[in-house]
Amino acid sequence: MSRVARPLAGGVGIAAAVLLAGQLYLAAGGNDSLLRAALVNVVIVMGLQTFIGTTGVLSLGHIGFAAIAGYTTFLLGASEQAKSVSLSDAPWGIADLSIPAWAATLAGMVVAALVALVLAAALARAPAITATMITVSFLFVVHAVGTNWVELTGGSSGLTDPGLRLDSRWWLYVGVVLAVVAARLFKASRPGRLAIASSEDELATAAMGISVAWTRAVALVVSAAIVGFGAGLKVQSLGSVNVKEYYFGFTLLTLSMLVIGGKRSVTGAAAGVVIVTAVTELALELAGENERLGGLPDLVLGVAVIVIMVARPKGLFGDWELDDALPRSRRAPAPPPAPPVATTEAVLTADDIAVIFGDFKALLEVGLTARGGEVVGLIGPNGAGKTTLVNVITGLVTPTEGRVDLDGRELTGRPPHEVARAGLARTFQNLRVFPELSVRENVDIAVLSARRHRSSRPAPDVDALLALAGLHDRQDQRAGALDYGSQRRLELVRAAALRPTFLLLDEPTSGMSDAESAVMIDHVRATARSVGAGVVVIDHDLHFITTICDRIYVLDQGEVIAAGSPAEVRSDPRVVAAYLGTASSTAPKAPPPDAQVSSRS
Amino acid sequence: MTELVQQLVDGLGRGGTYALLALGLAVVFGVLHLLNFAHGELITISAYVVYWLSSYDVPWWALAPVCVAVGAVASMGMEVVAFRWVRNASPFTLLVTSFGVAIVIQGFFQIAVSPKARKYDKPSWVFDTWEIGGVRLEVADLLTIAVTVVVLLGVVLVMQRTMFGIALRGAATDFDATRLMGLRANRAISGAFGLSGALAGVAAALILMRRGDASPTMGTDYMLKAVVAAIIGGLGSLPGAVVGGLVLGLAEVAFRSWLPDGIAGLTDGFVFAFVAVLLVVRPNGLFNVRSAERV
Repeated sequence: MSRVARPLAGGVGIAAAVLLAGQLYLAAGGNDSLLRAALVNVVIVMGLQTFIGTTGVLSLGHIGFAAIAGYTTFLLGASEQAKSVSLSDAPWGIADLSIPAWAATLAGMVVAALVALVLAAALARAPAITATMITVSFLFVVHAVGTNWVELTGGSSGLTDPGLRLDSRWWLYVGVVLAVVAARLFKASRPGRLAIASSEDELATAAMGISVAWTRAVALVVSAAIVGFGAGLKVQSLGSVNVKEYYFGFTLLTLSMLVIGGKRSVTGAAAGVVIVTAVTELALELAGENERLGGLPDLVLGVAVIVIMVARPKGLFGDWELDDALPRSRRAPAPPPAPPVATTEAVLTADDIAVIFGDFKALLEVGLTARGGEVVGLIGPNGAGKTTLVNVITGLVTPTEGRVDLDGRELTGRPPHEVARAGLARTFQNLRVFPELSVRENVDIAVLSARRHRSSRPAPDVDALLALAGLHDRQDQRAGALDYGSQRRLELVRAAALRPTFLLLDEPTSGMSDAESAVMIDHVRATARSVGAGVVVIDHDLHFITTICDRIYVLDQGEVIAAGSPAEVRSDPRVVAAYLGTASSTAPKAPPPDAQVSSRS
Repeated sequence: MTELVQQLVDGLGRGGTYALLALGLAVVFGVLHLLNFAHGELITISAYVVYWLSSYDVPWWALAPVCVAVGAVASMGMEVVAFRWVRNASPFTLLVTSFGVAIVIQGFFQIAVSPKARKYDKPSWVFDTWEIGGVRLEVADLLTIAVTVVVLLGVVLVMQRTMFGIALRGAATDFDATRLMGLRANRAISGAFGLSGALAGVAAALILMRRGDASPTMGTDYMLKAVVAAIIGGLGSLPGAVVGGLVLGLAEVAFRSWLPDGIAGLTDGFVFAFVAVLLVVRPNGLFNVRSAERV
């Protein structure tokens, strides 16, 4: 089944299950207002899932969007008659305006989405915990404005228009189906999958050419629209709106529903609403008429949240979706290695790079040139400045002086995702696969990015790349569960799937045994050939570098002390000194025989 | 000039309690990377203890130390019951757990006492004022400022001079490295929660003597102010938390006096908008303690 059909079927199935639960509840003599509230909550929790579940950023501000959309719906949709009483002093002639309820709901969604766009700009640079605080501040600002702007909002007594109330639950049913399907499709969509990757590892996501801020912004706007839709339905379900109801209590209730079911799963989020509603209702039933026992649902809910966080932090459903139960088409057998792709004429240059941190000169007038089809090595002892140079080239550090060009395009000071889009794909010294995604999904993130930003280069056969890495039969495994060497090879495949002109490998053999390193050498060469990319490889292992590279730069204490072919570099006295102490006291180790051959094949 | 001094006194009177609460949050954040949203509930718990004891006519000089003890014990209790079990979880899980703790405590007081606020007698002298050079000095403000200064000096001494304090500062910088130096994790975390709770208890005593009632959800507002103060300061930075609390108190008083009467109710709205803008401009707060991630 296709990329759309499966999640679509899943979404419809989840919605059907929710509606069925509702009908069973009614058949058992349940009450209408509780069912209405639960259906509305499903829609709102779908909105939360769309942002919190994909980006992994805890937002406490979404009920602020609900308040804004709810009031917009009411103010535009209520009858003039109702408004003439409570809103006679309202600004902008709102009292004399009334549009159909569906249009008012739509307007509420649009307003919420626009506000979300502004908030997204504010969240762009914020680390996760700061983002949470900005969203909670947003909720408070909305609440303070709502409580005080009595002419518009009715203050803490709210606004009522019985005429706006929907008599039938029909629209709520439609709303649940639309919201659940939208959330499930969003999760499977390009922005949804990129957001999930960013929640796993922001830096690795950026290195795939993806703007994390932009991805989050898309998720926030979509989720605000869904929450706004839910708020529009809530207002019409009650025939009233009150700022008091859109505050911390409602935020905690909906958030509990999301995390108890499982924030990453749309199925789980929907189930969370059903479970929490059922459990709190049961507690309320037990409490009976006793006013004090009105706190029982809270107590039960709080305990449930703690127990879930302790025992199953990913929620009851974890990552599982209903459509995962559908049969999967069998994977085709691994294809043979793809024919090599012609290398480009592209050139990567770093000129006169200087990086000075305070008094410390990390790099001084360092230059490096790499051509397409070439394997260039950068070697130096620890502290030589290798990582700093990599960070300069990949956009993590802006150099004090100098410039970086790729293919005639200046990259100096560009953020990491733009560097990746320009054709430089990197791996990381300390492994950064997306651990909770499958092997295939890891590579698919790069494929998604390449399709948009690297379409001028031929698309590699992902199956062939995976087969080359020995991962083809393990592509449905969780990447975090792979052994260390496989994770390293997966990182390389992922980088290659980005259709780069250059692969930049940061210590690809760190932590590997000699035998694994030898395998890695062949794997690097074969992978680079199959996508036609040049390679820049950083390592401190002289043997590895001299075996794999055509040309080598040697870095020591922030300066290039030697450059040339492996043989030239190996015999350079300064290199020997940097590596083995003084040149005179120790004779250079004889290189292994295979290292004598140039690596160009 | 007089007006400015007046606002400074009012602002520090408010900010002092925020600083104490924020410092407590920062201490716990240092060892656990938990932003404890249940911190405000320590005030709620103290409030109910005060409500209960004041029905036996216990005087305030005795209630204040009781608040401190209650805060410390309740805070350590939270750790044992809830946070110990999610110690190595993601920040998201930790945050949500603390919400769970807050909800449980609020539900408990609804059931055990009442969903409605319960009044107790405030000491009569807290709102006495002295006037010096046109500046009205309220006893409550002066007491808050004095107690805050003394407590903060005490905390500085503990942090600088005792093994416990040095261990906590080490833990705040790098908890794993401090553990490798022989620090016992359980003891350090428990101690951090105890100190954090005791500071909240001091703040509670200062808040409660002017408040006069206890209600199940009263802690939320204080918690949010404290969280905001800790974040303004740069989470995990102990001096930052104190500065953040004072800045927040001063900002509130400034907004309240500068805003036209019609929208004075919007003070909190403006304060939070101001905080949001500050966080956008400086995402890591005023005192950034986080070091860059190595790649």
